[in-house]
Amino acid sequence: MATEVQRLSHNPIVTKKGASKQRTRFIKTIGSYLLLGGISLVLLTPLLWMIFTSLKPMTEIVQFPPTFFPKTIHWENYLMAINSFPFWSYAKNTLIIAGSVVIGNVLANSFIAYGFAKLNFPGKRILFALVLSTMMIPGFVTMIPQYVIFSKIGWVGTYLPLIVPSFFGNAFNIFLMRQFYLSISNELIEAAQLDGANHLYIWSHLMIPLTKPALITIAINSFNGAWNDFLGPLLYIKDQRQYTLQIGLQVFKNQSTTQWHYLMAGAVLVLLPTILLFFFAQRYFIEGMNLTAGTKG
Amino acid sequence: MTKRSLRQKQEARWGFFFVAPFLIGFVLFMFGPMLFSLIGSFTDYNLTSKMNFIGLNNFKRMFLNDDLFWKSLYNTAYFTIFNVPLTTLFSIFLAVILNQKLVGMRFFRTIFYLPAVLSGVAVYILWMQLLSPSTGLINTILSWFHITGPSWLFDPNWTKPALIMMKLWSAGGAMLLYLATLQNVPTQLYESAEIDGAGIWQQFRHVTLPMITPIIFYDVITSTIGSFQIFQEAYVMTSNGQGGPANSLLFYNLHMWNKAFVGFDMGYAMAMSMVLFMIVLVLTLINLKLAPRWVHYAGGDQ
Amino acid sequence: MKKVGLILTAVLACLVLLGGCGKKTADADKDTTTNVKSSKKVTLDFWSFWGSGARREVIESIIKDYNESQDKVKIKYSYQPWGDIWTKSLSAITAGNPPDVIVQDINSVAQRADAKQATDITKYLDKGINKRFYSQLFKTTQYQNKTYGLPFNTDTQVIFYNKKIFKNAGLTDKDLPQTWSELDAVARTLDIKKDDTFTRIGFYPLWSLDTQVWALNADGGTSWFNDKNQVKIDTKNKRKALQWILDAQKYYGKKTINRLEAEFGSGVADPFLSGTVAMRAQNINYYTSIKENAPKDFEFGVIQLPEFQKGSGHKTWGGGFTLEVPTGAKHVKESVDFIKYLTSDKVQEKFGAASFDIMANKKANTNLINGKQLDETGQMIYKTADQAMSSTVLTPIPLSAPDYNNLVNEQIDAALLGQKSAKQALKDAQTAVENLVKQHK
Repeated sequence: MATEVQRLSHNPIVTKKGASKQRTRFIKTIGSYLLLGGISLVLLTPLLWMIFTSLKPMTEIVQFPPTFFPKTIHWENYLMAINSFPFWSYAKNTLIIAGSVVIGNVLANSFIAYGFAKLNFPGKRILFALVLSTMMIPGFVTMIPQYVIFSKIGWVGTYLPLIVPSFFGNAFNIFLMRQFYLSISNELIEAAQLDGANHLYIWSHLMIPLTKPALITIAINSFNGAWNDFLGPLLYIKDQRQYTLQIGLQVFKNQSTTQWHYLMAGAVLVLLPTILLFFFAQRYFIEGMNLTAGTKG
Repeated sequence: MTKRSLRQKQEARWGFFFVAPFLIGFVLFMFGPMLFSLIGSFTDYNLTSKMNFIGLNNFKRMFLNDDLFWKSLYNTAYFTIFNVPLTTLFSIFLAVILNQKLVGMRFFRTIFYLPAVLSGVAVYILWMQLLSPSTGLINTILSWFHITGPSWLFDPNWTKPALIMMKLWSAGGAMLLYLATLQNVPTQLYESAEIDGAGIWQQFRHVTLPMITPIIFYDVITSTIGSFQIFQEAYVMTSNGQGGPANSLLFYNLHMWNKAFVGFDMGYAMAMSMVLFMIVLVLTLINLKLAPRWVHYAGGDQ
Repeated sequence: MKKVGLILTAVLACLVLLGGCGKKTADADKDTTTNVKSSKKVTLDFWSFWGSGARREVIESIIKDYNESQDKVKIKYSYQPWGDIWTKSLSAITAGNPPDVIVQDINSVAQRADAKQATDITKYLDKGINKRFYSQLFKTTQYQNKTYGLPFNTDTQVIFYNKKIFKNAGLTDKDLPQTWSELDAVARTLDIKKDDTFTRIGFYPLWSLDTQVWALNADGGTSWFNDKNQVKIDTKNKRKALQWILDAQKYYGKKTINRLEAEFGSGVADPFLSGTVAMRAQNINYYTSIKENAPKDFEFGVIQLPEFQKGSGHKTWGGGFTLEVPTGAKHVKESVDFIKYLTSDKVQEKFGAASFDIMANKKANTNLINGKQLDETGQMIYKTADQAMSSTVLTPIPLSAPDYNNLVNEQIDAALLGQKSAKQALKDAQTAVENLVKQHK
């Protein structure tokens, strides 16, 4: 890294005068906004379509050729979506599952990956290969054997099969955390050890703050995954009072018809918490940046 | 000498302490089903009534008689070859343009991440509408530039590109990883590079890129594995979930699903999963072997 | 420091919540078990995919009636999402803790019976119970002369037509097509073409039926497999049927077809309800969709699928659902009693009147046709359905090649894409499926 920067600093480009530099910076900013705006538009269009559909009556949705903007706005679709199944209690259920999964994922993967990234022990390579190999078998074939195991220990009908495994790490996230740890200098750990800190202390007091952006990423992505999981909750939950939102949304699909307006309204509502979570969680990115830069500099 | 080995022993003990949760979880929840799948692949297991040992018959049938096996493997490889590099490049691109200090960045970040949050059937149906040959938004926009868009999901040559396009749209998940890594790049580096007159590309090439190679490496491996297991998109977006037209979206996992849950031929599906496992394993090993040449770890790899 | 505290409280709060909910479910379980013991009442788990609207209301009302009518059994209804209900039930059956009664697909009964996923309920049934149902439905619940469930509701494929378009074109009831050639002729008078583009389509066979249904119609009711499970894909009449479809495709042009196919495919926009397509071949259930989604002034009629040739029969395809007791369920007798109740005349009539499903019970449908529960259109639907049922063929999944579909569709798609002739496509499909049958031997 350092050498790269040094090489750049020998680059014999004449520094321009202040005024023109400000102008280029201004143009650069405008360019950035145009680019960001353009991409946002492309990325947002499907979402807009979804929102517009959620406001249309079915008679308009089935129209051919389809319309983009709703002719009349039907907010009551949202009321219907909420009243067609126990929306709030399903939301609570989903939140319990997703919240627990996030805690499990953040703690366990950070913990396990520290061992793989920063400590040496016999058989490490083989064990890490084992971690990776668990990603490579398609879920369908292990789905039913796994169900049988959970059924034998009496966990079917509870949230345990959905939550407990996340406290034992997951290959994708262990691998991800390992990559982040490997980018952290070992000198930091050695220095702490000289001060008499053990690894548990180093992990909890040094590594966790240093890897905050990564932990937030895992938190967001695993919340997103658990919040939108459908097959897992469906298989393991027996009592329909304990269902989750994604199962609830399915009531709008029948063998012959789908109530698109309600389905889309429901999907928009289900989407909101994840968006809000992301919007507010991202400030920790910025914080993480300052902290890392501080310790490194 | 003894002191050193004592330290090593101690470190090993700590190592096992840290990876223990994974080991316990593996033994409890994964080892059984994985071993069972391996054993099942040599049987005619149908979940409920039979499980007879039939040797290598499943594999023989797969390689010699099942044309759809080869077709699905081809479809999946095609998808992976384009999907992995394209989504990787695109998510890096998104992360880099988001990694600027501008007013309103939080909104742009949220918007860029949004597609990754949208999931499930509603999104696939939405894309079916966007991709509709005549009234869909994509072909409508193409027609503004006097381009006649393809029939996308109705032309076997365009079904997979359509799916790759959809995947690009939802690159926000991987983008987030890059964005998180970019936070670790000290801003001073960019500032000094800028003072030296380095252009945007040079800054990216010499400051950003080396820092994110560990995540690129992660992304390539996991998205290769993910691409090989693509399923739901094809299941929802084709009529009756059959992977048409002309089986052009019959992906490996979709074929496996049909064998397991339509034909109850679970033994065969397990055999297919073992073959997939081997393929992905080899690809991952190649990736791991090549990694030291281009992946840069600030903390050093052991 | 503040943050650590925050995280810790969050963890604690969640753990408390988790503990609380875990306890609650345990308590709930205990409650039901003690209940069972104290009153000797058996609780039966009943799974179906009726999750909202009229179907949900009527099934819940039916269950309430049943629970109140006797004090031995309590039915506990659980909604399971359409399609995934069977993944869930398969997992539960494999693990040995299935529900007591499930609504299952009728065409795969034999497959489940063969794999021992369903219970033989023959000994709990009265001799004449088969007379309740359309004979082909009951026949499909048989495997090796044993009964594995009773039919609940059914469907059949018909043609819906736009009455206004017919009227404006000067067509009367007498002109409703009875044969394929008449269908073609009527379609031509309804087509509107402006500068090489069709703005209205009279009729295109694949909206929204599979080639299989037309092939079955042309071939005297024989589908890709005959009664003896022999592969019958490459036959003279089926070649003609596919050629007929290819001709229709050629006539309208691929561009026109693709344009609308996408709309029918995604199941969102509906060119038939918008008047762009004058006739639509479809499952009779489509009536529900019209009722909910069509513009208020939309007028439509229903006819049976036309005959391939005069006198060859209005053969059509049907499906439906059965009520099954999965293997491993504990209270078979009580479950069968409940199934009998659900298939009885009055209950079937009640369900049909609320859901507009065609019921498996013949008498229920007749009562609906002649009774006062339905409006005129509703009665017309049931009348057509009842007629169509006499020539409706079910296609049980062949045990020798349960996953044949992709092989056949690939060849038919190749023909539709212009890569193969109808003859070649069906020949190749025949070979491919025969090969699959061989693999299973």
